[in-house]
Amino acid sequence: MTGNGGYTTGESMNLKSRISELAQIPPWIEGLASQFSIPESTQFAMNLCLEEVLSNIVLHGYAGKPDCPIHIQFTRSREGYFVFVVEDEAPPFNTADSPALPPINPLDDSHIGGQGIRLLRQFADVLEYQATPNGNRLSVGFSPAHSSIAKG
Amino acid sequence: MPISTVELDGGITRVILDGRLDIEGAAAIDMRMNVIAGTKKAVIVDMEGVSFVGSMGLRALVAPATRHQGPWRKNCDFGPNELVEKVLKSSGVDSMIPIHYELQAAIAALL
Repeated sequence: MTGNGGYTTGESMNLKSRISELAQIPPWIEGLASQFSIPESTQFAMNLCLEEVLSNIVLHGYAGKPDCPIHIQFTRSREGYFVFVVEDEAPPFNTADSPALPPINPLDDSHIGGQGIRLLRQFADVLEYQATPNGNRLSVGFSPAHSSIAKG
Repeated sequence: MPISTVELDGGITRVILDGRLDIEGAAAIDMRMNVIAGTKKAVIVDMEGVSFVGSMGLRALVAPATRHQGPWRKNCDFGPNELVEKVLKSSGVDSMIPIHYELQAAIAALL
């Protein structure tokens, strides 16, 4: 999906590893939605997935260290997917392959947290991970025909 | 995230949330939700005004309910929009906190 043939849109964002920085994402997505005619349901999925990815990087990847770099590039794939490529300089962590916790079970409240990866897999159409020399690159893709929100 | 409460008949507390239940929204309501869960016997979380919920928002909803759960305490969610509802169901939150779509049905479930 993110191999040769896609094109960058010139839309990107640089964040520092602070939770407060995540507030920049929703208006950015709103602007992208207006520019690229992204439907509301896809915007929701984008907001959700980026919040999960970025909060994981801030809280776990960088272990709460502030002022570490996060770069997000918005691209269109050859197939027309909307793709966010998120890069960091945190220790290697393959979100795409990491096991998700099971859904919350009323008989077992030990998994109240940890639903982020599960939601990411449910709401993104494509997840691709690459290790980089300095850290991680995660591509989160959304089909242009993203009408059914959660899979399965 | 603004949070307010309305006391209904039958000892039911309606907790009204408005806006984004993202990381910052979850932090904004966390303490109040815990106090409510610890002091009120039956709680309806009114999510009609919730436009977004992420995993930290789910924690803010579920943790207080489970921390104070018991046969004398009841909780339910009311009125999430379709997108928010998908998040609640994908994560299994609805198995712990039932979802209702009419306020009267939510009230009846807690009486």
